[in-house]
Amino acid sequence: MSVLTDIIERARSILFRRRDERELAEELEFHTAMEAEKLERRGLSPAEARRQTSLALGGVERVKDDVRDARGTRFLHDGQRDMAFALRTLARNPGFAAVAVLTLAVGIGGTTAVYSAVDAVLLQPLPYQQPGQLVRLYFTDVRRKEERGVVTPVHFLDYRQSMSAFSSIAALFLYSEAGADIGSGDDVRRIRILPVSADYFDVVRVQPSIGRPFSRDEETNAPVVVLSHALWKDKFGGDPSAVGKSLIMNGRSYTIAGVMPEGFADPLAGSVDAWVPGDLSPGRDPNEAGNHYLSVIARLRPDVTLARAQAELDRLSKTLADRYPNARYAGARLDPLKEDIVGDSSKPLEIMLGAVAMVLVLICVNLANLLLVRGTDRAREFALRSALGAERRRLVRQTLIESLTLALAGDVAGIIVAYFAMKAIVAIGAGSIPRLSTLTLEPRLLVFSLVIASLSALGFGLWPALRAARTQPGDILREQGRSATSGGVQMRLRQWLVVSQVALAFVLLVGAGLLIASFQRIRQVPLGVRPEGVLAFELHLPEARYDSIARARFYETVAERIAALPGVVAAGGVSKLPATGDFNIWGTQALTGPLANLDRGNIAGQNRVVSGRYFDAVGISLLDGRLFDEHDDTSVPRRVIISRAAADRMFPGVRAVGQSLTTGGGPREIVGVVADVALDPQGRSGEGYVYHPHRQFAGDRNWSLVQVVRTTGSLEQLQGEVRRLIASLDPQLVMYKPVALTEAIGRGEAQRVFTLRLLTTFAGVALGLAALGLFGVLSYGVRLRRREFGIRMALGANGGSIRRMVLREGMVVTAIGVAIGLLGAVALSRVLTSLVFGVSTLDPRVLASAAVFMGLVAGFAAYLPAHRATSVEPSSVLQ
Amino acid sequence: MAGEPGELLQGTLEMMVLKTLSLEPMHGWGIAQRIQQMSNDVFLVTQGSLYPALIRMKRRGWLTTSWRVTENSRRARYYELTAAGRKQLGFEQASWLRASAAVNWVMNARLVPDGGRA
Repeated sequence: MSVLTDIIERARSILFRRRDERELAEELEFHTAMEAEKLERRGLSPAEARRQTSLALGGVERVKDDVRDARGTRFLHDGQRDMAFALRTLARNPGFAAVAVLTLAVGIGGTTAVYSAVDAVLLQPLPYQQPGQLVRLYFTDVRRKEERGVVTPVHFLDYRQSMSAFSSIAALFLYSEAGADIGSGDDVRRIRILPVSADYFDVVRVQPSIGRPFSRDEETNAPVVVLSHALWKDKFGGDPSAVGKSLIMNGRSYTIAGVMPEGFADPLAGSVDAWVPGDLSPGRDPNEAGNHYLSVIARLRPDVTLARAQAELDRLSKTLADRYPNARYAGARLDPLKEDIVGDSSKPLEIMLGAVAMVLVLICVNLANLLLVRGTDRAREFALRSALGAERRRLVRQTLIESLTLALAGDVAGIIVAYFAMKAIVAIGAGSIPRLSTLTLEPRLLVFSLVIASLSALGFGLWPALRAARTQPGDILREQGRSATSGGVQMRLRQWLVVSQVALAFVLLVGAGLLIASFQRIRQVPLGVRPEGVLAFELHLPEARYDSIARARFYETVAERIAALPGVVAAGGVSKLPATGDFNIWGTQALTGPLANLDRGNIAGQNRVVSGRYFDAVGISLLDGRLFDEHDDTSVPRRVIISRAAADRMFPGVRAVGQSLTTGGGPREIVGVVADVALDPQGRSGEGYVYHPHRQFAGDRNWSLVQVVRTTGSLEQLQGEVRRLIASLDPQLVMYKPVALTEAIGRGEAQRVFTLRLLTTFAGVALGLAALGLFGVLSYGVRLRRREFGIRMALGANGGSIRRMVLREGMVVTAIGVAIGLLGAVALSRVLTSLVFGVSTLDPRVLASAAVFMGLVAGFAAYLPAHRATSVEPSSVLQ
Repeated sequence: MAGEPGELLQGTLEMMVLKTLSLEPMHGWGIAQRIQQMSNDVFLVTQGSLYPALIRMKRRGWLTTSWRVTENSRRARYYELTAAGRKQLGFEQASWLRASAAVNWVMNARLVPDGGRA
């Protein structure tokens, strides 16, 4: 025989299957007709002839199957038939199908979305060329190497000149005012600008797509600007001839030097609208060696390791320490940029990944449970069919196809869930987790989840069929009739599956509980301010139109006018919102009192500039002396208010009011002492605050004070009123980034909120799955034991005792699960340490609450089956 | 597989089909009738064995098919031997003769007393 003909014939059969089938039917019809005719010729009636023919020839369908076998296309035909059968079977039991598909969807969707987040934030390199070469350079005190501070321009210029380990190094002026008003007249808007040194573009290895970068000659605040792609599109309609034109920013005219490529984001600041050259000229003055304000990134030469670069930097620091006596202890340390950026987000995301893995396992277990029940149910169907002559191979294949259909449906649903879950994660985490906005579905994981979930569906779906194929049909059929408590082995397996589910759900519950407890603790931390009911917004006064005198007057006017609005208690401004981090830490020395001019009388003061009635607006109470008033202007000596911590440190044992100190360039007289304010929402305290009246300090720089307004009414309404008021004062001013003070302070906590929300969701899903599993096992057990219950009740057992029996079974399973989960929680407690605040990872109250909660849910899940057990009508099962 | 009776029968059926078709092209029912007649009603060829055999033989390139109208004007699929089929018939006929002769020898053998050797 020719192999080629064979192949062609087979291929033809597949291609022309439909026609072949039609022709085969016709051919067989012809055969039957001829046979019948023959019989009719012998004298039989036509009907009888047909009947006898059919009997003699055997089933037409059977012949067709055999022909298909010979043709080599039977598998196709059967497959199609099995698929239709599978769909029918699943449709007949829509509850089962829905739960299975939903379980798969949650498993695949949830895991993929969360893993994609982890991948985007943790695993993917920075979106720059050779990201491994990028480092962050921090100032550090050689006596306290773990310290990470910003760098002085003096040191920056020395690093740039001397460091051979760097191929390029750049300074980012993140610390300085980062907003600017562009345009004029009615078309004023606020944009985010970032002053940088010239080599910035070399470090990130991204050059402007049109135009040019900055040159070192321009590192003097030169009026040139590089636009972001978005701003260029928006403001200039993407016109390439915009380069060379001018752009008015803060009333000053800048020449557009270039436009960055689309999608470029700053590694530290994120989305920036425009880059301008920073001013490095103060760096040439050695007296500035104590003035820190630059964020520095660098690119290592390809052959240089981090350790070698650090060694060179250490040697250089020693030389510099000799050169600049007022920066004797200055050093620098290098961190890989990625580590620096990802930093704190890595822990929550790793924990999230663990949670995802647990949920995935839970889902597989649930699926196993579902399919095992179904398999047991169908074992009888299979036994019956195989007793009636169905091929075992065929039965197995049919189950396989059924599981495959389920898995496929689950996969599709999973991809849809993944898509929306990802949207949700971005919505929850945007702003608090860096680089989350770049999130896309991670294809490798999608495939991984699809495979895992589908395999578990296939595996657990197939197992009962394989078992059915091995056992004698008679055994199963007999077992059904005889035994009142059948399926014992499988029952135990399923109980253990539920135990594992309860254990996993318990661990997730504990995790969520710990986070919730941490939250409560953080909320209870006294911050020294009352942030509720306070609106905050930035108000930038362009220097071109507002000199220092105008600025001093305007901020006071705004505060007064806002305070006159209905419902407003007090209004004011501050250079940095309370409890949002360090700012303007200047050496502060007591000039009078017991520690006058002594080293012990020197603190790292947190300096703040305030306008209006700032203290009343945010709720900082006055402890001694007075608050600032309209007389504290440039015509009188400089005055300050200090916090109690500062007073206790600099003037121990004496009244601080009336004493003097020096900070920010000269002596100041202390007129008041106020309560301490935490530096962050966790309640970190510094060495103390020094508050300056803006009236006296406006000339130092444009402070761009953040305005705070306390109201008894709604913040939204207030926001509209303030916006109208500002427009009436100066229509060109922008009310920038209005936000509730609670939210502004909460910002640092956003990461914990992100983790909490995701973990709570997972705990909820896990709890649901465990409850579902428990419910399933108990219901099934009840169904199996209907006869037993019937007999018991017929013998006089009452409903209550049977209900208790089922409930007890559920509780035993739950208790074992919780016990194992407890061990898991202990094992994982070290991992969770970084996430909790003010609460032990083995906090007994959290553990107890989780156990009680688990027990309640389990009780709920067990109640329905228990109730159903007592609804058995003895006569109906015993007949 | 030569030891399995099913295979032998199947092979025999194919050979007989080839023989039938070597006389003239024929439709499936005709083939069955012809074999029944020619074997004096010893072989009753069922649809279940005939059509799969025809398909297999077609796949091997021994037969071609065409739709024609019968003498009593019905449409039927006619099978016809190809050159390869004809060659196969010759080959099978020869090996059948050889095999049946051999089987006959075996079946007709008797125990000959020959100094204790069989």
